[in-house]
Amino acid sequence: MKKYNIWLSLDYILKAAVLLSFVFPFIWMISTSLQTFEETIKIPPTIFPSSPQWINFVDAMSSGPFVTYAKNSVIITSSIIIIQFLVMIPAAYAFAKYDFAGKKILFGMVLIAFMMPGQVTFIPIYLMMADWGLIKTLVPQILPFMSNAFGIFLLRQYFMQIPEEIIEAARLDNASEFKIVWKIMTPMAKPALATIALFSFVSHWNDYFWPLVMTDTNEVRPLTLGIAMLKQSEGISNWHIIMAGNVVLVVPILIVYLLCSKHIVKAFVYSGIK
Amino acid sequence: MKKSYLLSLVAIMIFVLLSGCNGEEKANGSNGNGGKTTIQFWHSLDGKNGEYMDALIQRFNDSQDEVKVVGTFQGSYDEAATKLQQSISANTGPDVTMLERAYVQQFAESDVLEDMSSYLKSSGLKKSDFAKGLMGHSTFNEKLVSLPLNRSTPILHVNKTILDEKGLKVPTNWEELKKVANALVVKEGGKVNRYGFTMPYDTWYPIAMISQSKGTFFNKDKTSIGFEKNDVGVKVFEYLKDMQKTGALYYPPSQDSGNIVNQMFTTGKVPMMFQSTGTIGDISQNAKFDYVTAFLPKNDVYATPTGGGNVAMLASSKNKEAAWKFIDFMMEDPDGLLQFILDTGYLPFTKKMAESKEIQDLWAKEPNRKTAYDQLKYAVDNNKSVAWPQTMHEFFSAIEAIMYDDAKIEPTLKTFKKETERILSEN
Repeated sequence: MKKYNIWLSLDYILKAAVLLSFVFPFIWMISTSLQTFEETIKIPPTIFPSSPQWINFVDAMSSGPFVTYAKNSVIITSSIIIIQFLVMIPAAYAFAKYDFAGKKILFGMVLIAFMMPGQVTFIPIYLMMADWGLIKTLVPQILPFMSNAFGIFLLRQYFMQIPEEIIEAARLDNASEFKIVWKIMTPMAKPALATIALFSFVSHWNDYFWPLVMTDTNEVRPLTLGIAMLKQSEGISNWHIIMAGNVVLVVPILIVYLLCSKHIVKAFVYSGIK
Repeated sequence: MKKSYLLSLVAIMIFVLLSGCNGEEKANGSNGNGGKTTIQFWHSLDGKNGEYMDALIQRFNDSQDEVKVVGTFQGSYDEAATKLQQSISANTGPDVTMLERAYVQQFAESDVLEDMSSYLKSSGLKKSDFAKGLMGHSTFNEKLVSLPLNRSTPILHVNKTILDEKGLKVPTNWEELKKVANALVVKEGGKVNRYGFTMPYDTWYPIAMISQSKGTFFNKDKTSIGFEKNDVGVKVFEYLKDMQKTGALYYPPSQDSGNIVNQMFTTGKVPMMFQSTGTIGDISQNAKFDYVTAFLPKNDVYATPTGGGNVAMLASSKNKEAAWKFIDFMMEDPDGLLQFILDTGYLPFTKKMAESKEIQDLWAKEPNRKTAYDQLKYAVDNNKSVAWPQTMHEFFSAIEAIMYDDAKIEPTLKTFKKETERILSEN
């Protein structure tokens, strides 16, 4: 009994330590976003601001066309996720459940796409988009991400675990392939889809490099670029304003995470319908 | 049920594509808005400096109704240069751009920058109206390819309150700098509580020190480095390493080093630093001590490199007259760069600016701002080469190896020399 207590308390201490190391940067960010400039450069640093400076958020948001940035961020990220789902689900279904010539080669190509970093492709894509006259639109930030190779890969694994019998039963009931994909496979893959949606959301919502190289005007830029502009490369950065901007950037991610978290845990412990 | 869901998805997609197209129409209208010519201007000014630049553009747009300038931030100096490269080949480049001065050569060699000589003449300006030390990157093959914009030099920033407490004088040469820096160190149980002296992680400061020791970064024919002779390079780094070992020099981590040293300086953790003049405004606002600036200490001679950005007109611009109108406004109008310089702390670079009442008043009030202008007579840029951006990355690696990993100085510089020779022979 005594031994059990020691292990239990050790367990809690370790959990608390891990939790703290992940949560602390967020706490510091929020704390800094509510401090005055003098407080941000004080040593030792303060964790609890003496009086919360909500005005920092107003300052950050009024330093540029932040409504446009936010609108662009929302349009870009949601379009990417919607288009990705439309492409990814049928593709994963085909790779998981069909046999056809060239399947292995095609799947290999998907995996290659998975491994290709954006830094390799940005110049040809920029030149192509400029050629099509699309640089001043949001398209260059959406179109290249139409298919999500990681998503196809993950979803294929998931679909492969769904027993053939279910699909056959549906076919016996005269369900079309279209119906099978959208009414049977998709609802059963909800945890995987939630995971993919979250990963995709976080990576595109937070993306700095791609929008920076693909956009030339403020009208089509997302939040990340607006927030990068708050930083001052020469002189002393206003960390309180930068952190206020970061809070605005991070809050939607936290909300989406809370919405998806239940499904994500399922996706990783999922072991098939037995 | 499912169908309506799909329909709404399609509707959203169509909306997205349409809203994208809208943006294009608006932005494409070069002559669309009431006969005004729209000029695209790219820059790398973020934070408060970016706001001051936006204000300058606003003043220009309000001052007349023929030209409308749209200023856009394009990332750091390096990011902006990359963007400029890709946009020039895609034909989506701006009309006017800010260029970090070290990139000017590279773009000028590709013949994408407009020769502004005739425009300069048409406005009644001469090259000699500009401070000579800041025009080093402005002419290429006798063409005037760029003019100064936000220019700065490194300078010695001093917390005089702490020096006075210790009865120390502001150092004017390397020997004094070393002595003073060592005298300022406060150690407690092996841990340094106060360092003597610091500088950001940058190639700028070692280059300054090479010039102060009568070396040059590239040799005269631009075939190799110019600081191997008399072991100048080795001496510079030995000097730095010696000070680093005793705690006299705090060499900051590479990420965000500028911000780190600024904060350490303003909070009194280090009483002396080499840093850009661009920070004077911020520091004097925040320092709660007697803050002074001085020339970079000399070794054999006084010397300083210059930095910051220049402004250039793109040869591909279809609205060059209008573009020049904007550049001319920046150079000559009191509401142009003069006001921007007063706001930010960058260097005034024409005689007219330096002699203006505004600058004279400012210097009388804040003598710190004058130091850098006076130091310009020692300005020398000996890292001018088309291959500089590439060489710079190698030099950074050498600095990292020596300052962070305690690599042996001589072999590291030998390797750097070999790399530089390879890069130079390829260009």
